[in-house]
Amino acid sequence: MIKAKDITKVFGKNTVLKNISTTINQGEVVTVIGPSGSGKSTFLRCLNLLEEPTSGEIFIQDRKINDKKANKLEIRKNIGMVFQHFHLFPHMTVLENVIYAPQKVKNQSKTEAEKIAKDLLAKVGLTDKEDAYPNRLSGGQKQRVAIARALAMEPEIMLFDEPTSALDPEMVKEVLDVMKDLVNTGMTMVIVTHEMNFAKEVADKVLFLDDGVLLEEADPKQFFEKPQTDRARDFLDKVL
Amino acid sequence: MNLDFSQIVPYIPFMLEGIWATLEFVIVSILIGLVLGTLLALCKITKAPLLKGLADVYTSIFRGTPLILQLMIIYFAVPQLTGYDIPAFLSAILAFGLNSAAYVSEIIRAGIMAVDKGQTEAAEALGVPYRPMMFNIILPQAIKNILPALMNEFITLTKESAIVSTIGYLDLMRRAQIVGADIYRNFEPLLVAGAIYWIMIFVLTKVGQAVERRMRQSD
Ligand SMILES: Nc1ncnc2c1ncn2[C@@H]1O[C@H](COP(=O)(O)OP(=O)(O)O)[C@@H](O)[C@H]1O
Ligand SMILES: [Mg+2]
Repeated sequence: MIKAKDITKVFGKNTVLKNISTTINQGEVVTVIGPSGSGKSTFLRCLNLLEEPTSGEIFIQDRKINDKKANKLEIRKNIGMVFQHFHLFPHMTVLENVIYAPQKVKNQSKTEAEKIAKDLLAKVGLTDKEDAYPNRLSGGQKQRVAIARALAMEPEIMLFDEPTSALDPEMVKEVLDVMKDLVNTGMTMVIVTHEMNFAKEVADKVLFLDDGVLLEEADPKQFFEKPQTDRARDFLDKVL
Repeated sequence: MNLDFSQIVPYIPFMLEGIWATLEFVIVSILIGLVLGTLLALCKITKAPLLKGLADVYTSIFRGTPLILQLMIIYFAVPQLTGYDIPAFLSAILAFGLNSAAYVSEIIRAGIMAVDKGQTEAAEALGVPYRPMMFNIILPQAIKNILPALMNEFITLTKESAIVSTIGYLDLMRRAQIVGADIYRNFEPLLVAGAIYWIMIFVLTKVGQAVERRMRQSD
């Protein structure tokens, strides 16, 4: 489903990703972990072209996406993204946040978009917040709206960039629970996270990035019990 | 102290009509300034160097020369160059509208830059095209940040509007001068005009504050 071949990303004089290659299959859940600044966000952002790889190729369903001829908007329709800091549209209500893109991008009618949105808001447990503005919500609620907003586009792939890192501890679970539900639907997911227990529990595969290098790509059980590199061992010692 | 307001009483209706004469072209100028200023601001933030360059040059010229000169050039140069005898009203809204656009474009540009970059990314990640992203997501948030600065620009424009009296447009200021010439007393009509300007600005300020307060309620 997603295939990265030798992705390198350079910012100025700084090489942030170094020849990263990996394959993510349909329905797979992949967690990306690694120290801060190791390039996790940049890697994720390359997958929906929020960042353009400096070199290398990314294929999604066998179509090369980092190509001059490729239509970025068309590609992004199919890839949802959830950010650490939510980025809800503050001047729109919860419902408006969720129906905006389906109406504008997929030309859904308002009725149709609202029906889907209400379904999704029920799934993330926020039916009673439909008409609230984002600033009235807690962090956990905001992130659940952000997930519903991304899902409203009915994407086949979901990207999560540290979705719980900006949350108060008591709200982490409600967001992880929503993500677990999503895992159970068979969604293809790439998740950057510092929640090691969650990563261990839901992942089919763990990617360990260090200083822009994909140091390990492993089964979660194997990775967490027997990391192959010293860097991964050090990292796990620190966070676990 | 030698003040006598009794003589201008018959002229009061004439002067009051000046309020509308002033407001009429101030409002039209503000609208021109807003629309053109928004377009210029969008040019300034594009990656297209030609559009950006043109918008910057435009702003530089209109901010770098006196407004009264721009007004005079439009009023006197247009007939001389094209033979079209441009009316004072049209000259006034052109000069003030084009001039205001330069200032408004800078205000809006700064407002757009101040919107969290995450908003653009969230919209892009959803596949939203540039234009709806700008008009539905970014600009509404920018407008909110820049409302105080915009109000300031409108107030300045209203006060500066008095210089249209120099091309014979019958605004409040011009009427005060005419009344002064008629009754051989300048001080009283000018005082009356001053009071009216002050009230107009006062009302405008209050309206601005009310709008701002309403907008802040959704925060
Ligand atoms: N837009 C950018 N411009 C310049 N440097 C950047 C940019 N984005 C990220 N970086 C740099 O790239 C490196 C990796 O960043 P990032 O992918 O955010 O790491 P992580 O998500 O693992 O913390 C960091 O050193 C960061 O400073
Ligand atoms: Mg990051």
